[in-house]
Amino acid sequence: MMLFKLGWRNLWRQKRRTLITAFAIALALFLSLFMRSMQEGAYQNNIDNSARFATGLLQLQHPDFSDSQSIEDILPGSDEFIAAAKSLDHISFILPRIESFALAAAGDKSKGVAVIGAVPSLEQPYSGIGDKVVAGELLKDVDEGVMIGQGLADWLKVELGDELVLYGQGYRGQTAAGLYPIKAIVRFPLPQLDKRLVYLPLSSAQQLFSTGEQVTAWVLHTDEIAQVARVKQQLIQAYAGQAVNVRDWLQMAPQMAQQIAMDKAGGVFMMYLLYGIVGFGLFATILMMTLERQREFAVMLATGLQRVKLLQLIVIESSLIALLGMLMGLALAIPLIGYFYFNPIELTGDTAQVMLDMGWEPIVPMSVSMQLAVDQLLVVSLLMLICLLYPLWRAYHLDVVSGLKGDQHG
Amino acid sequence: MSIAINKLTKTYHADSEFPVHAVQNVDLEINSGEFVAVMGPSGSGKTTLLNLIGGIDTPSSGSVMIDGKDIAELNERQLIGFRRDHVGFIFQDYSLLPVLTALENVEFVMQLQGLSSAECRRRATELLTKVGLAAQMHKVPAKLSGGQQQRVAVARALAPRPRFVMADEPTANLDAQSTAELLDIMQQLNSEEGTTFIFSTHDQRVIKRAKRVIVFEDGQLKQDQCQ
Repeated sequence: MMLFKLGWRNLWRQKRRTLITAFAIALALFLSLFMRSMQEGAYQNNIDNSARFATGLLQLQHPDFSDSQSIEDILPGSDEFIAAAKSLDHISFILPRIESFALAAAGDKSKGVAVIGAVPSLEQPYSGIGDKVVAGELLKDVDEGVMIGQGLADWLKVELGDELVLYGQGYRGQTAAGLYPIKAIVRFPLPQLDKRLVYLPLSSAQQLFSTGEQVTAWVLHTDEIAQVARVKQQLIQAYAGQAVNVRDWLQMAPQMAQQIAMDKAGGVFMMYLLYGIVGFGLFATILMMTLERQREFAVMLATGLQRVKLLQLIVIESSLIALLGMLMGLALAIPLIGYFYFNPIELTGDTAQVMLDMGWEPIVPMSVSMQLAVDQLLVVSLLMLICLLYPLWRAYHLDVVSGLKGDQHG
Repeated sequence: MSIAINKLTKTYHADSEFPVHAVQNVDLEINSGEFVAVMGPSGSGKTTLLNLIGGIDTPSSGSVMIDGKDIAELNERQLIGFRRDHVGFIFQDYSLLPVLTALENVEFVMQLQGLSSAECRRRATELLTKVGLAAQMHKVPAKLSGGQQQRVAVARALAPRPRFVMADEPTANLDAQSTAELLDIMQQLNSEEGTTFIFSTHDQRVIKRAKRVIVFEDGQLKQDQCQ
């Protein structure tokens, strides 16, 4: 308590220096936290958007499906099978799908396409696919028709009401062939999907590929992206002993994961650069606080203060500056991040148009995460500890006689 | 608590071409309750002698025996404990902690001994009253005159009830009146508390008041006389 009182009052001997140092820490913390919250918010938004239009955040697949992509490697589509997943918390969507390939032909045109068999009434609240229909209407759960991407329709030169032949290989080597009227044309946000996607009700797809009640994947979506890893582990445990592979979006969309990792690395580099600059300021302050008081420290040691207590005093003073900076930084960051969390930054111009074309809301959402704040506080604490090393070493090796003479300034 | 100094030598830069013999072969005995002035010109080795006796510095050879125990045998932790419990220091420039009040400065050294807050407060108040600073005890050093600050330093030195007090030119920065007042206080405390006072000084006003005067020159004891 005595050292704490002494340390606190010592801070205000050089009021301006203390405040400038604390404010530098606060500014670095604020900028880093704001930047990281914006980055994480954008990543989560992108992952969520992409997942909803493609793979989902998690999938249950047959162990061989990821390599083979074959209709032979399928899972039961029964309620009994998926009951284990349904019993877990934090899963907001569970969608059965058949994902395979076929040759699509109309008139004298043909093209290899991706075929997705899904339950439209379950998919609509998940991906909002019905909102992307540009001609016709969303399929019913039991429907004879198909929906195709606008890009594919253009390639095949087909329109609403035209018929499309799907021809491929079904389950156990059976021939998959069918003739389907085009009930809807959809503008998928991702061009690679738009040019090659044929979408039909799950029951039709099961009939086409002769899979019976089976599916190639169960698509799952967690309440929050941060829960993916934990839910994945729970799923692995729940399906242990069964021929089930649990894959997350990182495995299913490795390019996006890499892109995010690189972008994140850039952000983290900037953050450390910022903290590095602030660190020099903090180091200079702590070092000055130590060097300019060599005589005072020597007097304290002469009058009976143990060296370890002297080091404690320096740590307390530095910690108080860092704490002051952290509190100021959080006081700046929290309200602003909170504001932008509820009122996301709206993009304008070309960037907004690109996002709108993708079917995404043109906003930069903020991520509100305790972990982000804790990470920043840990970085500041670590920075302070690094800055303390040399001043502590100097204080520990202070020669009392030289200190009393004022000889130890260098 | 008696101090016995045997063939005490302190040489700085011993390995260099120009070693400095700050204290050379000094034999000295100081008994409990003495009021001793160590005088000599600047650089004569007075401060070094006080530092060696007070356990701040270590001798190159010889020994400082306190009650028959060589303080050179103490490790750093024990030495700091020895200084904390048995030695009071008064410095020329007062060396008070600027952020603490007079009262807190005096309490500080007792808190290092682990005394209770109430005991620290009681003793600090008592000492500051004795040195005539009852009305100024809640002021920080910057709000006190040089003489008042040195009186706080005296109170601080005596607070842990040390066996002896080392005062390194305590009156060097004081005017005549402050010097006289300070010496009165120290003499009074010397007789009341039985504490041994050892001064380094070349101030004749202090030397006149000392009961014993030791003259130092070029690191050697030249004269030792009782007055």
